[in-house]
Amino acid sequence: MGVKDIFQYNWSYLLPEFTILGFATLLSLIDLGLRKRSRAVLGWLALAGVILAGGFVLWNAQIHQEPFSYMNDMLRVDSFGNAFKLIFLGGVAFCLIMSQSYMKISDEVTHRGEYYYLMLTALLGAMVMASSADLITLFVGLELLSISSYILVGLRKKVLQSNESSFKYLVTGAISSAMILFGMSYVYGLTGSTNLYQISQRLGEAYTSGFSFLILLSFAFLVVGLSFKISTVPNYMWTPDVYQGAPTPITAFLTAVSKAAGFAIVIRLLLVCFVGLIDPNLYASASGGRVFFEKPTFFLSVIAALSMIFGNTLALRQTNVKRMMAYSGIAQAGYLLVPFVTLTQLFFEQTVFYLFAYLLMSFGAFAIIMAVSHDRKSEDLGSFAGLYHRSPLAAVAMTIFMLSLAGIPVTAGFFGKFYIFISAVAVHQYWLAAVMIGTSVISYYYYFGFIRQMYMRPGNTEAPLPLPKGVVFIVAVTAIATVVFGAAPELVTQYVHHHFNSGFDFGNLLVPSSES
Amino acid sequence: MGVPISSYLLVALILFSVGLFGALTKRNAIIVLLSIELMLNAVNINLVAFAKYGLYASITGQIFSLFNMTVAAAEVAVGIAILISLYRNKNTVQVDEMDTMKQ
Repeated sequence: MGVKDIFQYNWSYLLPEFTILGFATLLSLIDLGLRKRSRAVLGWLALAGVILAGGFVLWNAQIHQEPFSYMNDMLRVDSFGNAFKLIFLGGVAFCLIMSQSYMKISDEVTHRGEYYYLMLTALLGAMVMASSADLITLFVGLELLSISSYILVGLRKKVLQSNESSFKYLVTGAISSAMILFGMSYVYGLTGSTNLYQISQRLGEAYTSGFSFLILLSFAFLVVGLSFKISTVPNYMWTPDVYQGAPTPITAFLTAVSKAAGFAIVIRLLLVCFVGLIDPNLYASASGGRVFFEKPTFFLSVIAALSMIFGNTLALRQTNVKRMMAYSGIAQAGYLLVPFVTLTQLFFEQTVFYLFAYLLMSFGAFAIIMAVSHDRKSEDLGSFAGLYHRSPLAAVAMTIFMLSLAGIPVTAGFFGKFYIFISAVAVHQYWLAAVMIGTSVISYYYYFGFIRQMYMRPGNTEAPLPLPKGVVFIVAVTAIATVVFGAAPELVTQYVHHHFNSGFDFGNLLVPSSES
Repeated sequence: MGVPISSYLLVALILFSVGLFGALTKRNAIIVLLSIELMLNAVNINLVAFAKYGLYASITGQIFSLFNMTVAAAEVAVGIAILISLYRNKNTVQVDEMDTMKQ
């Protein structure tokens, strides 16, 4: 392909990415000429950019359903990517609104311009991760997201905890990206290509010609490396420390957006490359020779089960709310890995719905946590004591979020968990379903710990809780959405099914139907 | 014909393991960052070896390794910057003293 051909593409499908890139550049230039106290305008500009990009993504999703590929799938605009981009953009929009309130009540972040445009570059990295089918661009997107978030976590420069958590995040992140790369290098060596679709074709040949061990080894390296981004078992130790040290809006960003991006790359990379592997010696077995359902699935289900168990039991003894939310996030990532094990036709809807529900409930919960912990100058669970008497509406909203995280009916979280549970039962993964139910019951203890504190414990003060406007907005939107989509989850699943599924090109790779 | 591909892969594997060991056990943060560089360079050896001797030899591996170097440089630059701000607050680069958040 010559240089001329690059200009012959219709680049307009990449407008969301260009918008974010443009706004990030613009912000960094405007930042040079601004006075120290007038950085709030940058936050609003960033929000405008995010909303504009969201509009472009919706427009893309409406006008063309077929995947559109740039430069041999280096970038690939398809319905899968569009659905994830909407989740990222929604998350970052919430995060920017929350940050405006955070900047008002706290002056620990001194470099506010950097704060806003690094959030945009992190978003750009996430978007590239979701819309690429090539090892090189996937990796570059992953690193763009990671490096931006290392800095964001450490932006409370004078706070020792923040420095420490940022350094820990960087070291674990760098080790895991080295592991991902090591796995990728073997995949490349066996296929001679970095294009995921070409890899999936050639990997099958390599598997039958005696390289099965190397393929499974590279799979293991990739899973261990990627488990850092989604914070599941082999690589989850960083989560509590980083969540505690980061500024609260950034914690929410890591919980919802960064984790969703991790799942996007996991789906792309692992499913496209490895699900198609066929072993002729195993044709007679139940999986019909599909290698993925022999060993890798078991490996993933063990990881999922261990994440649920560790996350939910370790959360029990936490008294710091951000650490507790971190362990809860590990358990949630465990639930989200279950669809990978079951791989039914509804895989995509399940994952997207859960990520969407999780986005709503975690942003709502973190917004209230931010307001309460800055008011009480403590991140201890005890600072929630008597919240019902201080601010009844905040307490009710927090109750909704906690019920949703715990998976109690009439909340979005319930249906997210319910869909996943049903799929596990449908493909006879009974032990995994049992672990899921068992650990959910354990999790009720600490989620209800919040409720106990808010309604039944007397607080030290009866003064009404000051809630910044941004926090009120986020809490209202997420609480209403959590209840609405809990009552009518088909609003989301139908939308995803109609607008994002026709071009969903893993279709023929999945198990024909869950009943068979 | 010279060196077979298995030797390159073995060197890379050893280098990766040395790097991983160093990153997990060393107390000095600078050494930890250096060990991570070893791991990333092991990947580059792999990629370049595969680009010449892989099942389907192609130039893509060398391009990939160039990307790796760039990203690794950016990562370490950020790492050192974070370490400096940590040093200003705590006056140490020993990893085992970074324990303010243990519970």
